[in-house]
Amino acid sequence: MVETGHFALVLALTLALVQSVVPLYGARVGDTRLMQIGGTAAVTGFALTLLSFAALTVAYAQSDFSVANVWENSHSAKPMLFKITGVWGNHEGSMLLWVLILNFFGALVAAFGANLPPTLRANVLAVQGWIGTAFLLFILATSNPFLRLSPAPFEGQDLNPILQDIGLAIHPPLLYLGYVGFSISFSFAVAALIEGRIDAAWARWVRPWTLAAWIFLTGGIAMGSYWAYYELGWGGFWFWDPVENASFMPWLAGTALLHSAIVMEKRSALKIWTLLLAIMTFSLSLLGTFLVRSGVLTSVHAFATDPSRGIFILCILIVFIGGSLALFAFRASSLTQGGIFQPISREGALVLNNLFLTTATATVLIGTLYPLLVEAISGDKISVGAPFFNLTFGAVMLPLLLVVPFGPLLAWKRGDAFAAAQRLMTAAGAALFAMICTMIIVDGETVLAAVGIGLAVWLIIGALTDLALKAGLGSVDANVLWRRLRGLPRSVFGTTLAHLGLGVTTLGLVGALSFQTEAILVMKPKQVVEVAGNTIRFEGLRPFRGPNFTEDQGIFTLLNEAAAPAAEIVSAKRFYPVRQMPTTEAGIKTLWFSQLYISLGDETGDGAAVVRIWYKPMVTLIWLGAVVMMAGGTASLMDRRLRVGAPARRKPGKTAAAT
Amino acid sequence: MTRKQKRLSVIFGALAFLGAATSLTFYALGQKASYFYLPNELQAANLQPGQRIRLGGLIEKGTIVRGQGTDVAFGVTNAGSSVKVFYTGILPDLFREEQGVITEGSFEPDGTFKADSVLAKHDENYMPRELADSLKDKGVWQETTQ
Amino acid sequence: MLFWIIAALLTFGASLAILLPLARKAETETGSHDMEVYRDQLAEVDRDVARKLIAQEEAEQARAEIGRRIILIDAEQRKAKSAPVSRPTRWLGALAVLAVPLISWGVYGSIGSPSVPSQPLAARLAEEPRDNSVEELVGRAEAHLASNPDDARGWEVLAPIYMRIGRFGDAVTAYRNTIRLAGATAAREAGLGEAIANAGGGLVSADAQAAFERALLIEKDFPKARYYLAMALAQEGKHSEAVEAWQQMRQLMPADSPWQTAAQEAIAATQQREVSAVQNAAPGPSQVDVEAAENLSGADRSAMIEQMVASLDQKLRSDAADPDGWMRLIRSYMVLGKPDEARDALKRSLAALGVDSEGGRKVAAFASTLNLVATE
Repeated sequence: MVETGHFALVLALTLALVQSVVPLYGARVGDTRLMQIGGTAAVTGFALTLLSFAALTVAYAQSDFSVANVWENSHSAKPMLFKITGVWGNHEGSMLLWVLILNFFGALVAAFGANLPPTLRANVLAVQGWIGTAFLLFILATSNPFLRLSPAPFEGQDLNPILQDIGLAIHPPLLYLGYVGFSISFSFAVAALIEGRIDAAWARWVRPWTLAAWIFLTGGIAMGSYWAYYELGWGGFWFWDPVENASFMPWLAGTALLHSAIVMEKRSALKIWTLLLAIMTFSLSLLGTFLVRSGVLTSVHAFATDPSRGIFILCILIVFIGGSLALFAFRASSLTQGGIFQPISREGALVLNNLFLTTATATVLIGTLYPLLVEAISGDKISVGAPFFNLTFGAVMLPLLLVVPFGPLLAWKRGDAFAAAQRLMTAAGAALFAMICTMIIVDGETVLAAVGIGLAVWLIIGALTDLALKAGLGSVDANVLWRRLRGLPRSVFGTTLAHLGLGVTTLGLVGALSFQTEAILVMKPKQVVEVAGNTIRFEGLRPFRGPNFTEDQGIFTLLNEAAAPAAEIVSAKRFYPVRQMPTTEAGIKTLWFSQLYISLGDETGDGAAVVRIWYKPMVTLIWLGAVVMMAGGTASLMDRRLRVGAPARRKPGKTAAAT
Repeated sequence: MTRKQKRLSVIFGALAFLGAATSLTFYALGQKASYFYLPNELQAANLQPGQRIRLGGLIEKGTIVRGQGTDVAFGVTNAGSSVKVFYTGILPDLFREEQGVITEGSFEPDGTFKADSVLAKHDENYMPRELADSLKDKGVWQETTQ
Repeated sequence: MLFWIIAALLTFGASLAILLPLARKAETETGSHDMEVYRDQLAEVDRDVARKLIAQEEAEQARAEIGRRIILIDAEQRKAKSAPVSRPTRWLGALAVLAVPLISWGVYGSIGSPSVPSQPLAARLAEEPRDNSVEELVGRAEAHLASNPDDARGWEVLAPIYMRIGRFGDAVTAYRNTIRLAGATAAREAGLGEAIANAGGGLVSADAQAAFERALLIEKDFPKARYYLAMALAQEGKHSEAVEAWQQMRQLMPADSPWQTAAQEAIAATQQREVSAVQNAAPGPSQVDVEAAENLSGADRSAMIEQMVASLDQKLRSDAADPDGWMRLIRSYMVLGKPDEARDALKRSLAALGVDSEGGRKVAAFASTLNLVATE
């Protein structure tokens, strides 16, 4: 079974090779048979990669330690769930997952792309084939998960305990679905450049893929952030760590791409820019993969790293980014220009959005790569941390957040900023009211926090205003309003939800950063402490034995007003004997949108322990906002408009990307 | 305004924005980036009190002293030099004697180092790269293989 | 064999995926995709007007713009013409079909390990025990004990196996669990002591000694415990007491007991260590002498050693300016159990070298490590 998986992977590589060459040539000479080979090769290649991945999963599930990768990263005492998630909890397995997802998307294009012009489909699949070939070669040459050990050891070395967590089990697949999803936009862009023309429906075909990738990436980033929040025990949810930045940059660029693709679809404008963005977005995904995999940057999330892998990925990076940009430079001028528009218009607003988002991406990119640059030039080792990013990224994003509600209210081609501003009076009023309330309730000192709250309310109410106006609020009665609301295109809901989610996340960030209360103290058993109005009693430490770890649990009781126990919070220091590694398991109690976060430090003798307690108001909104954004993306994905473009064979049901 | 003037003003605005963003970025890099030092490099570095740096090295054996509550002091050492570091807060899980550590903070006027964050190596085979490189250069730390 | 069949089937399937499209007839493209999109855009404008999302005037502009685009694609279509199917096409198709088996079998042949079968842990544990290596037996037992950690018999069976395969730390745990679950016996306590000693690299530590002593409390003459306690004496440098303990032990044992030989070997080894200690101390004995000493009986051996020491002593009386020689002599006397003579040698060396000379200080410092002080 294991060797079958290995063989299937090799076979997938050969198919990827065929897929990279044959359809491309077919599209050049106009031979439909050769072009169709791209489709069958993509689907078969996906099936083979799936078989390969299944074989590795089975090896993990059965603790087959004759596979070196299983031996290095698994242990027979590990719970089954983590045996399976351990498949992608290591470098080799996660690269296999990467390729599996890549081939999955390729197969989707092949299977549901019947309504694409054949040459475009063939070229897209060929470009996918190039990416697949590069990464399959990478796996087989430097990170083969199917290397064998003979004789097989009898016990494995266990997975890094910090990765034995359900959050981190879901995080990488989501992130990869995002990263790799952008490869489709990239392939479409490169295919358009190869053909030297962009079909009218190009943006419609690209948009669902971009949307799907963006939804997954949003989920992946939010999940990773929540994982870091509760697993690392520092109570922080974003560290501006290179690995986090690596996933954030494609997200920012992808968000820009989503918006510019709207302009391209509706007005056939910004074609060249959109192509460039599609290339940049996937390039940033590749760069992210390189940064994470090569270990060139210091990161708390580091996997074990290997320089030869880094060089291999760097080569992939140079070939793909360099190649596509060269192609862009060579061909961009042959593309036709689209419609024109006034600066104050929907298009103008979307261009502004792109300007801000790409600038923000650039600041993150510079901050992430600057240490590498400095070290290469002067040999000095420096680190660029949160202070830099907060200043630059914050300065770029703040004005963007201010203008977000205007965008959807402006008309295409020529808008009226003054009319839009008038319609946003309610939102502005609500924001001002929220600011004043914050200043009164908390105190007059927290001006910055109050401004933040106001901004969040501005975004939320602004997003709802757009929806209400489109439904005709104020001009029609409730029945008609309801009917019109239901009749609105899904994409309108998508816009509203995505912008609303942005506001919700902003609210969570401001709340958690500005109003959190923190207490660090040594607590003896039965000692009571009050943190931000919550009374917490430390009950003591008790030992606990898990399946593959032991832990010291600190038991805390949250007391209600009558001093009676209301909830138990367990915070633990866990120890994994196989890897001789301790981890912190924070105790978290969610109170509405806020959380009490208890982290256990060292024991100080006679049952007392160092305890760090945070009260983080509205902190869950950070991730709930991301969920709302994802819902917005999904709504937009279901818009019927995106299903159009087929002259003859129209597939019933949803688009491929919705699956 | 004519169409041409309008277009020019838009382009000018975009350029001004990009220029502002660029200068802000480089200003911030100059101000907010912190340099990395090992204890034996501090002499030559001639740092001002209050300047933020990252200080890395090995935790000196027998120097971890716990004070009131969550105060802790420990020595960070390499190549015979040692710096005493003061820190308040919860130490990372893998904070142990003779392990690699990176602290971030600044020197007080009295010459003690006050850290506001302490990072220990994150798993048993992982060492922050800049630290590993420096230590390897000086032969203090050998790469362990599994 | 099964693997090769599967591999062949997979290869066949993959080749087929390339071959099938080639077998079809070439189609020519019909219809315009762009047209469909523009038609939908027009319909969307109408819907938006109906929903009052855009004004009538805006809608007119949008319709006009879409109309212009439709005119453009008509022009483009007239330019486009279908390309003829060329010869290289067939060659490329054939090449692609051939490449699949050739490349895949070639690459797999160089990196795969087709002869290594899958080895799921459960299946390995379920195999016939007699086919298994010790390691596998241990794995099976560990799996059993992981689910039944209170199985005293399991721990007891496993403990000596751990000892045999050198996993002493695990043996300590296994013995501890046995004693915790099934109570202490002399054999278990002694086993624990032995495991602790081996885990510590053979050093009979205080922990190990305690275990052996507990064993002797249960069974006064338990040989393993006595043996290791004597070993502890030897390790502390009390060689003669150790030898005596072993000899006592031999008298208690029946003649055919394996402990007879073990004790005998231990005695020989301890005496050997004495010889080598002296050998390090005295300058003289060559490898030949030492080998000769090994063949001598106990009494002859002592005589030979004493003679070597005496010759060193003699040499230093005539040539006293040799601190290293003095140190060897002092150590030799200590090893031979003659502290008085050692002290005398120290006194003479200090007198000869001078107390404040460099050599004198060196010798005095060395002597103090042997707890020897020059007394006046």
